Amino acid sequence: MINYEEFRLDNGLKVIFHQDKTTPLAVVNVLYDVGARDEDEQRTGFAHLFEHLMFGGSKNIPNFDTPLQMAGGECNAFTSNDITNYYNTLPAQNIETAFWLESDRMLELAFTPKSLEVQRGVVIEEFKQRYLNQPYGDVWLNFRPLIYKSHPYKWATIGKEIEHIEKATMDDVKRFFFKHYSPQNAILVVGGNVELNDVKALAEKWFGPIPPREKYVRNIPAEPLQTEARELIIERDVPSDAFYMAFRMGNRTSDDHYIGDLCSDIIAGSKSSRLYNRLIVEEKKFTSISSYITGSLEDGLFLISGHLNKETTFEEAEAIIWEELNQIKSEMMDPNELTKVKNKHKTSKVFSEQSLLNRVMNIAFYENMGQLDEINNVLAHYDDISAQDIQDFSQRIFAPNKQTVLKVKTK
Amino acid sequence: MNRIVAPNYSQPESLTIQFPQEIKLANGVQLFWMKDVKDDSVKLDVEWCAGSKYQSKKLVANFTNKLILSGNDNQSGPVIAEKIDFFGGYFQHEIDRDHAGVVLYGLRDNMGEIFEIFTEAFASVAFPKDQFEKERSIASMSFKIESKKVKNLCQRRFNRAIFGERSVYGQSAEESDFESIKSEDLRAFYESNYTNAMPTIFMVGNVDEVFIEQLKTWAESFQPKPVDYTTGETQQEKGRIDNIAVEDAVQSAIRVGRLMFNKTHPDYFGFQLLNTILGGYFGSRLMANIREDKGYTYGIGSDVSVMEDAAYFIISTEVGIDVREETIREIFNEIERLQTELVSDEELLKVKNYLLGDFLRHADGPIAMMENFKNIHFNQLPRTYYTDFIHSIHETTAEELQGLAVKYLQRDDLTVVTAG
Repeated sequence: MINYEEFRLDNGLKVIFHQDKTTPLAVVNVLYDVGARDEDEQRTGFAHLFEHLMFGGSKNIPNFDTPLQMAGGECNAFTSNDITNYYNTLPAQNIETAFWLESDRMLELAFTPKSLEVQRGVVIEEFKQRYLNQPYGDVWLNFRPLIYKSHPYKWATIGKEIEHIEKATMDDVKRFFFKHYSPQNAILVVGGNVELNDVKALAEKWFGPIPPREKYVRNIPAEPLQTEARELIIERDVPSDAFYMAFRMGNRTSDDHYIGDLCSDIIAGSKSSRLYNRLIVEEKKFTSISSYITGSLEDGLFLISGHLNKETTFEEAEAIIWEELNQIKSEMMDPNELTKVKNKHKTSKVFSEQSLLNRVMNIAFYENMGQLDEINNVLAHYDDISAQDIQDFSQRIFAPNKQTVLKVKTK
Repeated sequence: MNRIVAPNYSQPESLTIQFPQEIKLANGVQLFWMKDVKDDSVKLDVEWCAGSKYQSKKLVANFTNKLILSGNDNQSGPVIAEKIDFFGGYFQHEIDRDHAGVVLYGLRDNMGEIFEIFTEAFASVAFPKDQFEKERSIASMSFKIESKKVKNLCQRRFNRAIFGERSVYGQSAEESDFESIKSEDLRAFYESNYTNAMPTIFMVGNVDEVFIEQLKTWAESFQPKPVDYTTGETQQEKGRIDNIAVEDAVQSAIRVGRLMFNKTHPDYFGFQLLNTILGGYFGSRLMANIREDKGYTYGIGSDVSVMEDAAYFIISTEVGIDVREETIREIFNEIERLQTELVSDEELLKVKNYLLGDFLRHADGPIAMMENFKNIHFNQLPRTYYTDFIHSIHETTAEELQGLAVKYLQRDDLTVVTAG
């Protein structure tokens, strides 16, 4: 059970407080409702590059990290196709330092040319390290544009290509900031060993004076229904053939999300899952197999991916995967199999909620989805799912003419 | 309102460290129990002296650990996995140079069942050929994939240079090793280092007495014999090692380091502080220079890695191919600055405060507390280790740090390895 109190400042900033008296720490988390999906197609990777620039000094504070470290704190951030999230963990008595720092960079950045130049370099190295300089690193750079044709999910958070990052100008940076980094477009979540009254006073003091800006209204082209199977084969210098299969499904707030999650656990979510047993244990056709959902805020994906053994052909691999998909579509599963994946969810939920940072981030995500009141009902959602639900989901989602397949062939 | 001046801050007055309760059994097995947990979670960690330093043939320790729940003719590995999953349990194999074991996660209500499935499977494991072949194929593919990454090629060569070929710490597996291990090797290692050896149990969870009795009964069944090993002679190859060329690489991995002392050495705390300043946190000098000033890398860091019989200091990064030499020059410039200039009062205060906050972050909650305790237990440190550490950090002066940099970071004592 996650407790919380919510209030809103006059400038539109939503504030949520989660108290935990058992920790000596506090977390200050700011989520901005902007991600790679809000980028211009000719300037991809920008939301993430911008996240780096948020640490390059703000209007009144030349360096973000130094004062936070002085107060015993640590911070980080991440960007996805949907959101950008910043978090600070520090001794609870020093929480005001994080309010001061986060509010100043929401007020205005320093916009120094040096910071832009350096962070362009850092992000280009990140691009190389994660996506170019390791086997299978560029899979998602190729797979996304095959799955999505109109929606901006067709490019990866890091961007389509290094050239886009190289081209970013200071004007782009400023425009992006004033468009997306407004109090109305942010959620502040504070957690830990602090008191509600102090959080209210500090939020008013530091974030209250930030002027509201024009509210950004997202207007993204919907991805049309997929009606034909798609396939791409790429050849790479990699040790084994790899196979990726995607089906589109409902978004993060739909029932599909919960049903798809359990369905992916059943298909290849653990060492007792169907495909793991068949492909790895019994027939030894693969050396790894997994299945998962993306959980994106718009238009989610159901994925199956794995590495093939030397002797296995793509045709064989596909045939077996389709046999299993057809089976889950045609045969009602044993209730024990469903209970099993539900039980695993229960355990992992308890462990994941032990971390204060996880709880605080979760509050921010749920508020951003407009579903904060659902945060404590997650297990009930999973519990309500029946074998029939899984079968219905499978019949609707796993259609041969709706699959997108990427094959990585060894050179 | 003045946004230019930072709000006041203070340092936490004390660090609350909780120790687990110890239950000693007649056969010498130790069970450590942290029961003050506010939810239903149970984490049970069982470790043996079965890390890779105990193996006489490469990969044996690793494969034995991976296949410890692989079943027998009556009950197959997948059936065991299925049963544990059914009770909402998770198991994780854990192995390093020194220890190996299994971590079981579950909820209080089902932990008795999960543990029983584990103990039965553990006692009757036959390392079936079929499961062994499956694991061999998975592990050898994963090895091939990892061997494509410049960071791994660099690290393997670095280990060999730091410890020497004769040391177990310097050796790493090769593709051919996957072919030469046999199921019988695992059987023998299991008998010497698991069933006839001494487990150590660490449990975090608010379990009842019935479960404690179940654990004790199992732990008491061991009749441990001593296990032995030799680590081989250590010899560091100093200086610059030839670059490992990797075709088509767009980044180079760099490792710089040396052999180091363990956690009981009088200079350990001081050197940890020095390491933090150089490369141990986001605000470190290497990050400030190589990433935040020059933009050469996504990340650079340094660390002191301590095992039971050996330790090393390491700086690691991956940078654009064209700035590899420039990065190495800057790494040595930063080391030289530590040797020739005193760290300013402000920087010293910042690092000390950061480290105190870091102690709090790493002691938040019973699972984290148990991890701290494991460090004390396995490294045979006094119970005052963390408070001594904090005290020592407070006392360390800029002059002492300079002295440590001169003493331990001489260029001639360092090994430099690059790949890519």
